[in-house]
Amino acid sequence: MARGKILVAIVIALCLVGIMAVYSVDPLREEGWSMKSFYGRQVIWNIVGWAIFLLFAFLDYHFLTRAGWFFYLLMLLSLGGVLLFGRGDEAGARRWLFAQSVQPAEFAKMFLVLFLGFYLSEHHEEIDSYALLFKSGFLSLLPVLLVFAEPDLGTSLVLLVVWLGALFFCSFGGRKIGMVFLGLGVLGSLGWLFLKDYQKKRILAFFDPWRDPLGSGYNVLQSQIAIGAGGIAGQGWLSGKQSQLRFLPARHTDFIFASFCEQTGFLGGALVLFLLGMFVWISVRIARDAPDLEGKLLASLVGVVFAFQVLVNVGMNMGVMPVTGIPLPFISYGGSALLVNLAMVGLLYNIANSRKKKNGRDKLEWPYQQ
Amino acid sequence: MWNKEVTEKVRHRIDIFGWIVLGLFVFLFLRLWYLSVLQGEWYRERSERNWIRVIPLQALRGSIYDRNGKTLAEDVPRFRLVLLEGSMKVEEARRRLEKVLGRKLVSEPREIVPGEVVLLEDLPLEDVIKVEEVQGDLPGILVESYPHRFYPGGEVFSHLVGYVGKVTAEEFSSLGPLGYEVWDRVGKGGVELFYENVLRGKKGYRKIEVDALGRVQRVLENHPARFENSLILTVDREFQEYCYGLLGDKRGTIIVGEPASGEILVLVSKPSFDPNALVEGLNAEEWSRLTQSDAKPFTNRALQALYPPGSIFKLLVAIAGLEEKVISGQTTFFCPGFLEYNDKRYYCWNRGGHGTVNVERAIAQSCNVFFYNLALRLGPEKIVDYAQKFGLGVKPALDLPGVKEGLLPTPSWKRQTRKEPWYPGDTLNLSIGQGYLLVTPFEIYHLLCGIANRGKIYKPHLLKGILDSQGRLIKEVEGTLERETEIRESTWNLLWSGMKRVVTQGTGYVCRDVAVELAAKTGTAQNPHGKDHSWFGGFFPADKPEIVFLVFVENGGDGSGEAARIARDLINWFLENRGMKSGKR
Repeated sequence: MARGKILVAIVIALCLVGIMAVYSVDPLREEGWSMKSFYGRQVIWNIVGWAIFLLFAFLDYHFLTRAGWFFYLLMLLSLGGVLLFGRGDEAGARRWLFAQSVQPAEFAKMFLVLFLGFYLSEHHEEIDSYALLFKSGFLSLLPVLLVFAEPDLGTSLVLLVVWLGALFFCSFGGRKIGMVFLGLGVLGSLGWLFLKDYQKKRILAFFDPWRDPLGSGYNVLQSQIAIGAGGIAGQGWLSGKQSQLRFLPARHTDFIFASFCEQTGFLGGALVLFLLGMFVWISVRIARDAPDLEGKLLASLVGVVFAFQVLVNVGMNMGVMPVTGIPLPFISYGGSALLVNLAMVGLLYNIANSRKKKNGRDKLEWPYQQ
Repeated sequence: MWNKEVTEKVRHRIDIFGWIVLGLFVFLFLRLWYLSVLQGEWYRERSERNWIRVIPLQALRGSIYDRNGKTLAEDVPRFRLVLLEGSMKVEEARRRLEKVLGRKLVSEPREIVPGEVVLLEDLPLEDVIKVEEVQGDLPGILVESYPHRFYPGGEVFSHLVGYVGKVTAEEFSSLGPLGYEVWDRVGKGGVELFYENVLRGKKGYRKIEVDALGRVQRVLENHPARFENSLILTVDREFQEYCYGLLGDKRGTIIVGEPASGEILVLVSKPSFDPNALVEGLNAEEWSRLTQSDAKPFTNRALQALYPPGSIFKLLVAIAGLEEKVISGQTTFFCPGFLEYNDKRYYCWNRGGHGTVNVERAIAQSCNVFFYNLALRLGPEKIVDYAQKFGLGVKPALDLPGVKEGLLPTPSWKRQTRKEPWYPGDTLNLSIGQGYLLVTPFEIYHLLCGIANRGKIYKPHLLKGILDSQGRLIKEVEGTLERETEIRESTWNLLWSGMKRVVTQGTGYVCRDVAVELAAKTGTAQNPHGKDHSWFGGFFPADKPEIVFLVFVENGGDGSGEAARIARDLINWFLENRGMKSGKR
């Protein structure tokens, strides 16, 4: 199916943009090709990631969903492991396992998608029931809280949104979803008390960055300045002052969109936004036309994961979202995220292609097919 | 069918999700357009404020040279360490610097221009090297060079050349509109102040690119500070230094110049102060010690202090008497050592008396009784008239700031200010340069110039020429006639003859051995506060004057002593080291 191929083409383009963008802000760029450099590692991860993509693209997703509970337990174990044995970073957050090599929270995104896809389609009779709402809620909030405790506000929000998306797609009624939001609102206001100071400051800074332009508002301002200074055509490749002179923080991770825009301007930023938008739109189309409920849920939840991350990351780069430390899929530097993202693209590709298979071999007989 | 229904519902929800996400992407797209296209200019400027620092460079000042090209004032480069604000806390920067330099920083950090804090000034070269070597550990700390005013002549020239200082808060209100900033240097006295507009140079600036830590990446633009003009003065540095030495630890002033052009060769005032110390900056204690001192080192005694002229004023009374034909060359008066007038005795300095004296002898012997008699016949108004013709009581047109004029007392002046009538005794006092009469030494020098030039009075000046920044002479100051006093030749002849006899057989006998014929006059000004002030002034060669000199020593005793000895030495020095234009010895 052409849809899957277009999707892959878009992701390849985004990954190339990512490598270029990481290269452009790499402090070790001048020293030539090296595994120590950021862009060097990004290239290696791309290679590994695309291998994983192939694995997921050609492994039937029903095979994966059957292992739903396995993924769920793996997720809880790895997240628990982080809290127990994790390596802390400069800010004191424990996010890595195996000496800063694996970020379990990133993998949890996909594991939760696989588990919810499996779990909700398994309990399809109970759809739109309070029982399923609470059961799925309990199972989803467990990893959310584990990630939140690391603390990693951004990723725990992604996991929460995956569950909310699942409720939405599974046709839960507006009243029930409204109740969930109400409950989360209460929890959230209670949770405010548990937020780290830096997280509170970031959220406050989002509402008024000029209040403390050199402190918590700094990130938001510098990234907006970078994007604005890019103008229409950008300051030129490798020549944006904001990123090259290091005024922009987290240039290769959270704020890579801003540094790319500074160099390539509105045109480059619009291209990246267009590619990401196309990606999400195609994943929605794949979900819509998936052959069964499982496929629909998996594809749409993958779409939610990407859409949410893109909207929040680009939004915070442009000062319309709070700074929450969510990376930009395919483009931000980071191995775990890239591997997981490409695995999920593989999943989408697989789902996109299974309609054809259904017509061909009629192998995927399922109660809800049309 | 139930299944179909659910699937349709899920499909529907997925569609809704798709449209919501699409809407949000459109919003992000618009936001991107707003930031980079609509607001691009504003953000670009914000960005530039991040990474472009404009460092103002202090204007250079022109140099000041003496008539022989010797330097009197110049700018020398010095180094200082500045911290770009926002790159490091000042305390942290000081801590790191102390580690690098291996010593404590004593000076307080101060902000010279917005965004730049001076950590250390006047850095020795080895410290500059130390700092440059570890530049990476000192982000935001720059080594900057700045001009420092140096006066090689030191205290010898401080009254004449003056000094520079920072624009003060009071000055800023008037200097601000002229483009001065509070950290700029401005002339505070002497030539530096008088020719401020000529010496003042152009400011420069440097645009540099810094990174987020304030480390300098590169220089974007460099507009060096410049100076526009240098000055050549008429003074002779070596001569002045010699004269300054002659005064020793006495207070006084020496003025030497050329009457035919108005050029001043020497203008010494002692005690003096060190202009270099002032430029370095004095602390409050040192400053008050200087300003409160009884010696008044800041007063230029040649131009700003008033003294009674004593007998040297008799020259003027003689001119007035001869011109008004009250006396002639043949007129004699008898001096018994005093004059009795209205039952009061007015004594001559020589109580033994001079006997019968004509005007020439009266000048040579400085006979008071002769001038008492002359003045009584002449009246005070006439004397003051002639004094004014020679520029006394009028502010001299010298190119220095703060020049004062003397006081010429007349009966109407006394009535107005003292509410007392003018007594004949006042006239007698006036005739010998005492009483209410006050002059600045420069006025007497000016008078001597007029006499030496036979009534043609040239404008006294210190400026000889102006150089442009390339060292080309763009202006040369010619002697300009200030005024011409119509005095008869016979008067001049008598006066000159009297002044020559001062040296050969009169009160200036100390100078009899100098290798040039001299015309001079002594003066002893009675001083109610202590020892008499000593005057000695004149010109040489006596028959074709080239040089006029005036020596004044505060509390130097009588004019035939201290001042005359100093004059003798300076004349000898001049003859030996400079010689006469006419070649005559």
